[in-house]
Amino acid sequence: MIVFDKRHLENTFLLEEAKRLNSHGFITKVQLGEIKQLPVLKSHDNVLIRLGFYLLGSFLLSSLMGVISLVTMGLAESHFWIMLSVYTIIGLVGSEFLAKVQYQFGYGLDDAFILGFQGFFCATIGIAFESPMAAFIALAFIGFAACVRYINTLSILLSLIGTTGAICYAVLELKVVNSAFLPIILLTLASILYVIYIKISKSEEFNYYKNPIVLLQGFSLLLGYFSMNYLVVRELSESLLGLKIATGEDIPLAFLFYGFTLLVPIFYVTYSLYSKDKLMLIIGFLVFGFSIYTIRFYYHLMPIEAALLLGGTLLFTVASVAINKLKNKEKGLTFKAARSSDPDILSNLEALIVNSQVDLEPIESQGKMTYGGGGFSGGGAGESF
Amino acid sequence: MLKSNEFTEKLRAKELLTDVQMKSIKEYEALRFFSIHNELRFLLYLAVLLFTSGVGIIIYKNIDSIGHIAILGLLFALTGVGFYLCFKKAKGFDKEEVLFDSPVYDYIVLLCTILSCIFIGYLQFQYQVFGYGLSSLVCSLIGFFCGYYFDNKSALSIAITGLATFIGITVTPKALMGNEIYSDPSLPYYGLALGVLLILWGEYSNKISLKKHFRLVFLTFAQHLIGICCIAGLLDDYWFVFAMFLAASTYFFYKISYETSSTFLFVFTLLYGYIGINIVLFKVFEFIDISRIEEFIIILTPIYFIISIFGFIKLIQYFNREKA
Repeated sequence: MIVFDKRHLENTFLLEEAKRLNSHGFITKVQLGEIKQLPVLKSHDNVLIRLGFYLLGSFLLSSLMGVISLVTMGLAESHFWIMLSVYTIIGLVGSEFLAKVQYQFGYGLDDAFILGFQGFFCATIGIAFESPMAAFIALAFIGFAACVRYINTLSILLSLIGTTGAICYAVLELKVVNSAFLPIILLTLASILYVIYIKISKSEEFNYYKNPIVLLQGFSLLLGYFSMNYLVVRELSESLLGLKIATGEDIPLAFLFYGFTLLVPIFYVTYSLYSKDKLMLIIGFLVFGFSIYTIRFYYHLMPIEAALLLGGTLLFTVASVAINKLKNKEKGLTFKAARSSDPDILSNLEALIVNSQVDLEPIESQGKMTYGGGGFSGGGAGESF
Repeated sequence: MLKSNEFTEKLRAKELLTDVQMKSIKEYEALRFFSIHNELRFLLYLAVLLFTSGVGIIIYKNIDSIGHIAILGLLFALTGVGFYLCFKKAKGFDKEEVLFDSPVYDYIVLLCTILSCIFIGYLQFQYQVFGYGLSSLVCSLIGFFCGYYFDNKSALSIAITGLATFIGITVTPKALMGNEIYSDPSLPYYGLALGVLLILWGEYSNKISLKKHFRLVFLTFAQHLIGICCIAGLLDDYWFVFAMFLAASTYFFYKISYETSSTFLFVFTLLYGYIGINIVLFKVFEFIDISRIEEFIIILTPIYFIISIFGFIKLIQYFNREKA
């Protein structure tokens, strides 16, 4: 099933584990060096390098396509799908070659070919059958297959998008069931995905698929929240189903969506603290923010500045109480920094971001603009990182 | 949370781990250690930003309705209480890194710094206490004081921004994206001067071991100031001077990023250098008669891109190898 040489693949994961143990301070640099001597697959941990090779790979793939297009130009008008399927085969052959002969795994070049052939395959099927449904299903299958064969993390994302897209298309366009049930159906899908996640994350068999599994978890958590979020449901019902909501009225089952909007983030945060799951915790915080936005979108309970002051004060209180409580705990949930974490990264990041928030521009007093604090740009992005 | 897995066991089986190490891993795992250190700190930080944004908006909206004295009084009281708390808990100035017992105070320092900047800005807006632009300088001084006394990088970064604002350059990320950096064509020169000053101060501090961990903040600001000013200057009349300057600064930051093993500095060094080279290349094309070699250039472009990407990859790879 897996394309890679078994021994190389295992060594690659052993090395990764060794690096992790080294960053936690369990093993020495010398030991790590010993483990580095093992024959491993070629991969790049550094995102920038991988991105660079991805770009190179894309250039390579597109120039190969260009050469073939020159020869088969005549086909383009009548049977475009044949050309696309030739591209698919080129991408596939390239992926196999890079994985088997070149021992590339997460190298960058291979990513370009693996993702490329999936895109072409999806387009081939879509054009050949002239149906978006076929394209979604093709994407779901090919993504899954590529993930299994090449252990490619992004492929599983494509597969999940294909699956979700196919279901949405079936419900919204083909009207397989009443469109009003879409949120429930998607919630069910998210639950099924999460159950699958739990099953395979516990199984030893799928140890090589650590990253795709994490992605599966994140996707199912986000899908679960957004499928039942009031704002999403209401706005999409209005735009996709043409639902007209008069003032004073509400969407059907509004209480259910409100309940989910409020409870899901709280559930994510508390459950993640209980089960010690970092990803779920972070997603919990993010969707909590989105829930607040959802409520403010429809109900102006208080003016923005009061909300900011209140929110800031509350958040500060909660966080400082939590810090005081967890400061000296030596095990379990704690405020003590993890062994592997670098304390400088956060403080440097904060020092950069703070400037998107504070405006020190001197202002002439004729204008009505005032100084300081500035517009609420939501923390803003630092220019990098 | 650290979880040992199949691969940890295999490492042990291959005798790449010792028994003692395996035992300590197991013991650590038994603690079920789950650190939310960074998450809680980030929440505190977010709280400060939310709060100060709220204060800013309140002042903006009510500038004519609530009494000025009332606003000023409130702000002053709030800042005063905050500073009182911080001074009480602070361990005093030290050349080395000093930390509060609880990181909550770091964020109170940040809150007070931002609030006092708002206070000064308001004072300036209503009563013109300071001369034009001087208010930013005062903010900057407060920032420097808080940064050095309480050992706070965020306050330091506000201080540097204040200094740049004082000479008329906005170096916030927001302004960079909106391309609204200068209000005056002579500013690149001032910007360069400030950038050089920051480097000198950062390196001098490093030499006399004064808050060594601030070095990266100074270098980052200097890099962006110099980089942006040089690129702006390259599009101007005296571009040759700026080209020389950019080359020198690229060399300097190339060296320094190896020294500090900072990937962040290194990547931006490459980026500014590359943008600079391309602008100079275009300037050269302007000089020579381009029409005769037009086709040649068109054919060469993709190759140029591929070589560029390849060059980036090689440089970063080399950097990573040296760093490790």
